[in-house]
Amino acid sequence: MKWLRYVVAMAIAVVLSLVIAPKAWAFCGFYVAKADSKLYNQASQVVIARSGDRTVLTMANDYQGEVKDFAMVVPVPTVITEKDVRVTDLKIMERLDAFSAPRLVEYFDPDPCAQPRFAEFDRLNGAPVPSAAPAPLASRQKKDLGVTIESKFSVGEYDILILSAKESNGLETWLQQNGYKTPKGAAPLLKPYIRQKMKFFVAKVNLDKFDSSGFSNLRPLQISYASPRFMLPIRLGMVNAKEAQDLIVYILSPKGRAEVTNYRTVQVPSNTEVPEFVKSEFGDFYKSMFNTSYDKEDRRVAFLEHAWDMAGCDPCSAEPLSLEEQKQAGVFWLPQENEQIRGEYPRVFLTRLHVRYTRDRFPEDLMFQSTNNQESFQGRYVMNHPFMGEAKCDRGRQYKRELPARLEKEAQNLAKLTGWNIQDLRKKLPKVDLSGLTWLDRFRMGLFAR
Amino acid sequence: MLQDARLYQISFLSLFLLLGFATRDWTLHPVVVATALLTCCLSQWLGLYLVGQLPAQLPSSPEAKGQGLWPGWAAFFSPVITALGLAILLRVDGAWMMAIASVAAIASKFLFRWRDKHLWNPSNFGIIAALLLPGNAWVSPGQWGESVWYVLMFLACGGLVVRKVGRLDTTVAFLVSYGVLEALRNLYLGWTWDVWGHRLGSGSLVMFSFFMITDPRTIPDSWRARVLWAFSIAVVTFGLRNFYFLNTAVFWALFCISPVTVLLDALWQGDRFVWRRSPELLEEG
Repeated sequence: MKWLRYVVAMAIAVVLSLVIAPKAWAFCGFYVAKADSKLYNQASQVVIARSGDRTVLTMANDYQGEVKDFAMVVPVPTVITEKDVRVTDLKIMERLDAFSAPRLVEYFDPDPCAQPRFAEFDRLNGAPVPSAAPAPLASRQKKDLGVTIESKFSVGEYDILILSAKESNGLETWLQQNGYKTPKGAAPLLKPYIRQKMKFFVAKVNLDKFDSSGFSNLRPLQISYASPRFMLPIRLGMVNAKEAQDLIVYILSPKGRAEVTNYRTVQVPSNTEVPEFVKSEFGDFYKSMFNTSYDKEDRRVAFLEHAWDMAGCDPCSAEPLSLEEQKQAGVFWLPQENEQIRGEYPRVFLTRLHVRYTRDRFPEDLMFQSTNNQESFQGRYVMNHPFMGEAKCDRGRQYKRELPARLEKEAQNLAKLTGWNIQDLRKKLPKVDLSGLTWLDRFRMGLFAR
Repeated sequence: MLQDARLYQISFLSLFLLLGFATRDWTLHPVVVATALLTCCLSQWLGLYLVGQLPAQLPSSPEAKGQGLWPGWAAFFSPVITALGLAILLRVDGAWMMAIASVAAIASKFLFRWRDKHLWNPSNFGIIAALLLPGNAWVSPGQWGESVWYVLMFLACGGLVVRKVGRLDTTVAFLVSYGVLEALRNLYLGWTWDVWGHRLGSGSLVMFSFFMITDPRTIPDSWRARVLWAFSIAVVTFGLRNFYFLNTAVFWALFCISPVTVLLDALWQGDRFVWRRSPELLEEG
């Protein structure tokens, strides 16, 4: 009976593999409050433009506290000098968000008895759009703490320091002595970065400059560096976050799609037909759907929400970014104005990843890679407005007969995606007027419509 | 029940491929899988023809009838395994790239050999060839995630195959030495231990250590040599991953260390592996 053992082993393997199914927004650094205000960043957006070893990283946060309290510490792979840092417009993030956000597409069923005619509208509704803001500063080099100020400068409304440190307690003490209140438990997390010889990008707001700038929000900071590391440090960001944090990463590449290499990258459910009432609650719909998918994947994956060449979109939820906007977003491989291009015009491929992370499921920082995968993908949900007019012909009656079943299917799709109660959803479905139908039609509906 | 460990390998790899299709959304198209299978088998046929080792009987010949399974099939176990390995691991932007990788993989078996052994594992050679060609292929190290169920499945299936082949020492040596190196790094950097667990719990790593580095036709014959060999692969993988930030570190490590087998075999004698021990059958691995 030896073969039986193998069959059983194989069967167990299959079963094991099938059991696997069960199961917000934040940041790569931590905020350092100068007052005792509790700063929990729940959502952040990052743009990474990368080609070869060169990276341009733009960071925006939904910082909600007082501007004077704002401070940010981000580990970076190399020393960053003044010319490598600039502030950029928050609009760029909004443009990228609008261009790549999951979308609801709406179609209108034509009168089945009239000549074919259709209209189509795209409706954009973002997953929650976080706003932006990063930045701290201090001075005085304290050699005994092992902290060295590698460079110090101001850019826009920010005062910036690049620190290197020898040991984490020294760095923590230095930050505290210089007026940065580090979150409790930060020191052990600084150590791995120090030992990997990474530097610390420390930014805070220069209030005078901020007041005179006329901006009401902190603008995103953009830094560029050359390093083979293609990663985002998220561990530090979890020090001052109680709950799951949401991070949207826009990766711009001259090759194709980007993906996370040390966690799975999963596409959000897409191309599903949903009832028409979703239009008025698309934001809630997307949040619930994302939650359901997040739980289903055991809360340990990165979600792909959009992957498309920047040159186009179909349907477009917003105009693609202009060349100027792409450059502002950090794309550095586009030709200068008047520059002659030999061969193909450089490509800009946008990948939008949505990572909801918690300390227990995401112990490691995010590592990425760009691939040559140029397959387009978008989070797209389809809504068909039913034709509610009178059924004046055979086709019209057939349409009416089939409509209830279709509406039911759409409600089930919605319930499956969001986990919402199917009974509640059924109540919201439009009532189909069956007055034009004959008793035979009703009989056939009873027989076939299920 | 099955005399040939390669049949287990084929069934398990097919299972993984199907699971990958069904439960992990890989960007993998059936056309690409078909291309890999077809190109690998055709290349094998051509290779055997060129070296004059084509099976004497055709499946349709009168002699072959009534013998049950056609013995010549055994010559195609190896290309099927190679094709499945490529389909699971290599991601391509067009089927033609998979065809190139497949031809390179099978050709490497016929071209680079030393005393009836291959210098490189064919799938590994195919992957490296595809990665070296200007840009249309990649490997997704995160494709299995870190699900404990998958890791258990790879351990169960892989354990069965490797035990049949008798190369469990290699897998254990590789996993242990890589685990120890990562643990030392973790200790030095001061990460919490779940970081270490996460790095080692990668489904891709476990699959690699059971299904790729254990290929008996490319690894040393003596167990001492095998342990040393697996340890070297672990060291190179560790270095490439942590100091050169290479996502495909394991494949490059295996590629670099594979040819050392020749040297190790000269130093330590051991039993040469054959897939089946019956003389009338082909022993092409």
